[in-house]
Amino acid sequence: MNRKLPREELTPPERRATWSVRAKVGVNEAPTLARPADYGHDTSGRPARRAGLWHWVRLHQRQAALLAFVVPALTYVILFFAYPLIYGFTMSVERIGFIAQSGPFIGFHNYSVEINDPVTREALLNTAIFLVASLFFQFTIGLGIASYFSRRFFLSGFLRSLIIIPWLFPPIASGTIFAIMFAGQGGIIDETLQSLHLISSPIFWFDSSFKAMFVITFVNIWIGIPFNAVLLYSGLQDIPNELREASSLDGAGAWQRFRYITAPLLRPVSLIVIMLGIIYTVKTFDLVIVLTNGGPDNGSQLMSTWAYTLAFQNFQTGQGAAVANMLFVFCMIVAFFYIRATRRDVAAAA
Amino acid sequence: MVRFWQRHARRFVLPIGGLVITGLMLLPIYFTIESSLAPSSSFQALSQSLVPSHFVLSNYRMAFDQESGSIITSLLIALGAVVLSVGIALPAAYGLTKLGYLKSRAVVSVAIIVLLVTQMVPGISLTLAFYKLFFHLHLLNSIPGLILADSTNGMPFATLVLRAYMGSIPDQLTDAAYVDGASEWRTFRSVIAPLAVPGIVTAGLFVFLFAWGDFLYAYTLTAGGNVTPLTKGILSFFTNNTVNWGGVLATVVLAAIPSGLILSFGQRYVMGGLRAGALKG
Repeated sequence: MNRKLPREELTPPERRATWSVRAKVGVNEAPTLARPADYGHDTSGRPARRAGLWHWVRLHQRQAALLAFVVPALTYVILFFAYPLIYGFTMSVERIGFIAQSGPFIGFHNYSVEINDPVTREALLNTAIFLVASLFFQFTIGLGIASYFSRRFFLSGFLRSLIIIPWLFPPIASGTIFAIMFAGQGGIIDETLQSLHLISSPIFWFDSSFKAMFVITFVNIWIGIPFNAVLLYSGLQDIPNELREASSLDGAGAWQRFRYITAPLLRPVSLIVIMLGIIYTVKTFDLVIVLTNGGPDNGSQLMSTWAYTLAFQNFQTGQGAAVANMLFVFCMIVAFFYIRATRRDVAAAA
Repeated sequence: MVRFWQRHARRFVLPIGGLVITGLMLLPIYFTIESSLAPSSSFQALSQSLVPSHFVLSNYRMAFDQESGSIITSLLIALGAVVLSVGIALPAAYGLTKLGYLKSRAVVSVAIIVLLVTQMVPGISLTLAFYKLFFHLHLLNSIPGLILADSTNGMPFATLVLRAYMGSIPDQLTDAAYVDGASEWRTFRSVIAPLAVPGIVTAGLFVFLFAWGDFLYAYTLTAGGNVTPLTKGILSFFTNNTVNWGGVLATVVLAAIPSGLILSFGQRYVMGGLRAGALKG
């Protein structure tokens, strides 16, 4: 066995030392503060000290062996992401009625039909309002809860763990709960409002587009608060307390501490939370199906449910695929900004 | 007054406020449990009192009669998705972790970006193509088909969580195995996989929850068929049954049991996974 191991040559001893100390002490770096150099395995730009043919062969053998470990995942991604997405694109440029059939190529006709369809426009507007309202309230309420619980008190850990329950529920279950609570006659929300004399006659929550969208947004906010609260809480924990103490010694009030210390330091986490929130929210499907099924009169369709309705109920699969692809393009734009915002983490992780 | 606040805030005011916040957030869940246990099946009675006079299990009996088949279907799908996703993700995470050490950082960065992007693909953009492909492959309305489709939610996430976890395993261990002449496969199987068990649990829990809670694929890829995962079962139970909402809510409680169990026993895994999956990339 060759004692000159490529592994040892590749990792400089001084970096290995820091790495092992880090591992022993268990120092956890805040993810957003991680610097690539600290991970200690970057050897690019360093000439291998005893580079030779043998070494080169061994290195590439190992790389090939390790790539084999990635092959199943790569195969899955190609078969279940890349291929369906390409296939979905070809569906959107064909005239397809029933989803399992094929049709003639018609270029971007489906796209132009859907862009001019008033229901698509309404779905687009609904999705936009749903997105903005959901994110705003999820984030602000989540941040409020996170900062409240970041002051440790009796029961705080226990209560904090209970708050994530809504997020762990299957969304269809949450949707069903609220569908029953918001029911027009005899629903607990109407009954409560009536017994408090806030309303005189029952509200039928699902008979107008506005009210239907209100309910869907309300439920989605409820589902999203825990996710925001948990991540923002951990973001708050990563801010060193000394900073806040120092600023309050300098005479900063609560608002100034938030404005000049907490808010800027929380920015990276907030960005990630908001972008993940956009993705989750824009994918929403189950809630609409169980609460309104897109009604009344397509008044609460989102892009996702409208694509579903076109393809599976109206037998206009080509147009449904076009709507689904518009949604996909939007998600990829968000993904681009998400990757850009996290690129330092990605580099550090690699 | 200010001094009173300062002195008592930590002991009394903060916990009470915390209870109020948690109570408000969980009110719908309380309502669900309470209504599912309430004796009257007529819906008017649900909102009469906050605490029912006595509990009955008839709603749960009805939910079981109606949905036991879909509970088993959902369990099979979720467990299958866990096996498939983790089975693919675990070696991939190992390969990506070690490749990062071996002058292959560009490959690893690209792989991580691809995994992040796949998590952002809306399911509706996939499911139309899935339907058509599965139709021709005779995978529609089948448990294997749903396992394959549901793993689109779980596999990328599991890989990222496991990769983040493996990064925390000291590489001296694999070095030692390498010095002893172990192959990559042997190192993976005998050194890394046993050490990665907590990461595997985290990833598995999330994949399970994703597949268990999946509605989109359950709804579209079984259209008109008799394979009914629980999420689809709840919807049809709810839309076909406007009389006994107590029974529907009992089914909702059954659907939430895995979440409850995970919250009770696996919370630190969930929190760790949330942070690793979302932030560490």
